[in-house]
Amino acid sequence: MKPDGGVCEEKLYNELFKRHSKDLHNFLHYKYGAENNPGDLVQEAFLKLWNNCHKVGPEKARSYLFTVANNQMLNELSKKKTVLKYSLEKPKSHTSESPEYVMEGKEYMDKLQKAIEGLTEEQRVTFLLNRIEGKKHKEIAEMLGISRKAVEKRIYTALGILKQKVGKI
Amino acid sequence: MKNEDYIKKWLEGTLTGEEKRDFEASEDFKSIDRLSRATQAFKAPEYEVDAGLERLQKAKSEMGKTGRVVSMNWMKPFLRVAAVFIFLSIGYIYLTRDQVTDVRTFAAQKAEIYLPDSSFVALNAHSHLTYPDKKWENERKVALDGEAFFKVAKGSRFDVETQSGTISVLGTEFNVKTREGYFEVICYEGLVRVESPQKTVELQPNHMFRIIKGTVSDEQLPTGAAPSWPSGESAFKSVPYTHVIKEFERQYDITIITKNVDVDQFFTGGFVHDDIELALKAITLPVNISYQIQKDKQVIISGDKEVE
Repeated sequence: MKPDGGVCEEKLYNELFKRHSKDLHNFLHYKYGAENNPGDLVQEAFLKLWNNCHKVGPEKARSYLFTVANNQMLNELSKKKTVLKYSLEKPKSHTSESPEYVMEGKEYMDKLQKAIEGLTEEQRVTFLLNRIEGKKHKEIAEMLGISRKAVEKRIYTALGILKQKVGKI
Repeated sequence: MKNEDYIKKWLEGTLTGEEKRDFEASEDFKSIDRLSRATQAFKAPEYEVDAGLERLQKAKSEMGKTGRVVSMNWMKPFLRVAAVFIFLSIGYIYLTRDQVTDVRTFAAQKAEIYLPDSSFVALNAHSHLTYPDKKWENERKVALDGEAFFKVAKGSRFDVETQSGTISVLGTEFNVKTREGYFEVICYEGLVRVESPQKTVELQPNHMFRIIKGTVSDEQLPTGAAPSWPSGESAFKSVPYTHVIKEFERQYDITIITKNVDVDQFFTGGFVHDDIELALKAITLPVNISYQIQKDKQVIISGDKEVE
C-alpha cells in the first residue's frame, strides 16, 4: 500500500470493486429503480472514487462510495419514476428455503407493487435492503449515514404502511 | 413485550427462540410473513461484477486518454467573472420572467401533478393544464383544457378556468371535464362554485353539473362516489354515445369509425384503460353493435340496422 493510504493502486481498487459493487448496485436499484440504470450509477461512483483516490483510504472507500451514490443527482429531465417490478419467475440464486413466495396471487403482487411505490424513497430503500438483501440495521445505517435507530424506525414504519395497504385481501 | 417490539426484533432477526415461537403464533405474524415473502419477488437483478469491472477499466482508460484533468489555474480569474455574470443573468431572468408551468398529456397518457401548495391534480388523457409558478401565493389559478381531478389544499380561493366556465373552490375534491360540446363538474368534497355563461351554481358534495351541447343538467350521485378514471376506468352516466367514443379514442390513442351507429343515444356504463378487447366489448355489447379491430390503430364499430 502507498504511504498516503489512498486507493490509487490498481489492484486494491479492483479488489474494492469486487467487494462493494454488488451492494452498491442493489442499493441504487432500490433507490432509483431499474429504469434509471443502476449499473451506470455504479460506474459513476467508482470513477469518482478513482478521481479522488489520493484522498480516500481503503477503509473509507465503502462509505465514500455510498455517500456518492446517495448524492447522485439524476438529471431531473431524464429521471424516470422509480418503478420496481416484481418477477414471478424464480430467481436463479433461489434456494429451497422459501419456495412459496413465487406463488403469491397476481392481485396481491400488484397491490404490493403499488404500495411499495407509495413509500418514500427512504422507507423503500431501507425496507427492501433489510427484507430482500437481509442487511442488518447497522449495515444499512452505515450505507445511508444515519443512525441505527432511524433505520429501525424507517423499516418498521414502511412495514406498517405496506401492511395497511395490502392487508385486506 | 409489546407487539411493536416483537416486530422490530423480528425484522432485525434478534428474537430469542421462545420469543420467536410466541410471535409466530400471533395473528399479526401471518400477514407480515406473507408480505415479507412476497417482497422477495422485487429483488434487484443479479449484478455482473466481472462485466462491470471490465466496463469500468475501459471507462477509466478513456478518461485518461482525453486528459480530463486539465489545470485551470490560468483560467481562474476569468471563470470568476463568468460565474458572477451567469449568476446575475439567471437571477435577472428568474425575477423578470413570468414563470408558467405547462403540463400536457397526449392520447393514452395520464399525468399526476403537485401544485406549489401541494394541491394534487390528476390529468386525464389528451388534456392540458397551465399554472403560474411564481404568482401562486397571491392567486391560485389554473387553466384547464380536457379532464382533471383536483384535490385542493385548504387555503385561499382556487380557480380553474376552462373554455366553458370557471370553477372556484376553497379546499376540496372535484373533477372537471371539458371537451368539445361537453362540460362536466363533479364535486366530491367541500363546496364548488361553477360559473358558466348558461348558469352559475354551487355544487354540494356528490353533485354533478353538466352542460352537453348547451343543455344544462344537475344531478346527485350516490354518496362515497369517486372518479373512476384515475384508477384506470372511464365511467359514464346517461352520456351521448359520441362522447363515449371520443373518450375511448383518447384513452387508447386510436380512431373509431362508426357505421350505422346512433351516436346520439345515451350510454350508461364504462370501460377499462388497459385491455382494449374488454373495453370494446363493454361499450358495444350493451348497445347491440359489433366491433372490428383494423390495422393502423383503427376500429370499426357497426350496428346491424340502418339508423333512421
